[in-house]
Amino acid sequence: MRTLVFIPAWNEADSVAAVIADVRERLPGADVLVVDDGSADETAVRAAEAGATVASLPFNQGLGAALQTGYLYALREGYDFCAHLDADGQHPPAEVARLLEEVRADRADLVIGSRYRAPAADGESEDGVVGDDYRPTISRRIGTSVFRFFLTLATRQRFTDTTSGMRAANRRVMALFSESYSPDFAEIESLQLAVRQGLRVEEVPVRMLERAGGSSFLTPVRSAFFIFKGMIVLLVGQFRPRRVGAER
Amino acid sequence: MSAALLVAAQDPKVHLTSQTRILAAVIAVGFMLMILELIRRNRLQERFSVVWFVAGLGMLAGAVFPGLLGFVADAMGVRDTNVALFSIILLLLLGLALNFSVIMSRQAAQITRLAQERALEKAREQAAGERNGDPSTAERSESDERRAKA
Repeated sequence: MRTLVFIPAWNEADSVAAVIADVRERLPGADVLVVDDGSADETAVRAAEAGATVASLPFNQGLGAALQTGYLYALREGYDFCAHLDADGQHPPAEVARLLEEVRADRADLVIGSRYRAPAADGESEDGVVGDDYRPTISRRIGTSVFRFFLTLATRQRFTDTTSGMRAANRRVMALFSESYSPDFAEIESLQLAVRQGLRVEEVPVRMLERAGGSSFLTPVRSAFFIFKGMIVLLVGQFRPRRVGAER
Repeated sequence: MSAALLVAAQDPKVHLTSQTRILAAVIAVGFMLMILELIRRNRLQERFSVVWFVAGLGMLAGAVFPGLLGFVADAMGVRDTNVALFSIILLLLLGLALNFSVIMSRQAAQITRLAQERALEKAREQAAGERNGDPSTAERSESDERRAKA
């Protein structure tokens, strides 16, 4: 069983090496791929030095395209499972390992790490896995609840962290996402898509950290635009044809 | 030309003077010549030129047969032919702009896939190099890979 952990990175030269080292320590059996999304800095060099395979997009294409590149690589190179996490150090690889366990155990096709969902009470939660050490800004909180509401409405499944960039997936998901993945609205539409295609999507509570480098791209105006765009995407997504049983 | 003038005279709703009609015809012909020239210089692909050529022909037809415009205005139920003219042009341009957005979206998707394919190719090369020419290394350990890189 081969596992690929891929890390989309755009100008993350400061943090990418540490994230790779951490992934290799916590997930010793996995191959690491960094998808360099047209970085202007040393991201690709640092990643290669840290021992990762690097897929460099020739110009910045956006997170969706970068993630799709990772899924495409995992699919083509015959990996059984894949996971991805952010390059800014917000996502502890130890938590990614827990997501991967879920797909390896075939409890779900796609597992999302949620920083909002309270850990399960059945002792599944390990040390430090609590959702409330994460303090989002107000505009992010509004966006989060709007998306949560509409995605739950659209999928009839409860999602708490719709924009989480920490996920684990099996080959069914790779096949789906490498074909159709919204280039500029990656996270939310992909969840809707996966559920509509009849895949089992599951959320697992995870602990996230403060970012090690870089800053959030969200300003209030951008957030409003982001929310508006997201709602259109979700609305249109509801009218896309279902292709039930994609490689199932 | 005199027949066309006669048509114009019979239809009081058309307000085009001979002067404007000649001007419009000249512009239309010049426009179509420009399109041909762009194609000849490989600055415009034939498949994108058809719609512009049709637009030029429409312009020419409007200049040569002013009655046509009145007829169209009647069919649209518009009293003022100028309003009919502008509405038609506006709708045409709207359609064209949308058409270009569709083409742009398709090309953006194609460019993205092209970039991804190139990135994957490079990554595969790098991974293959690290594997030291041994493709059946599904069970290889991370330390092997690290050593191969060093």
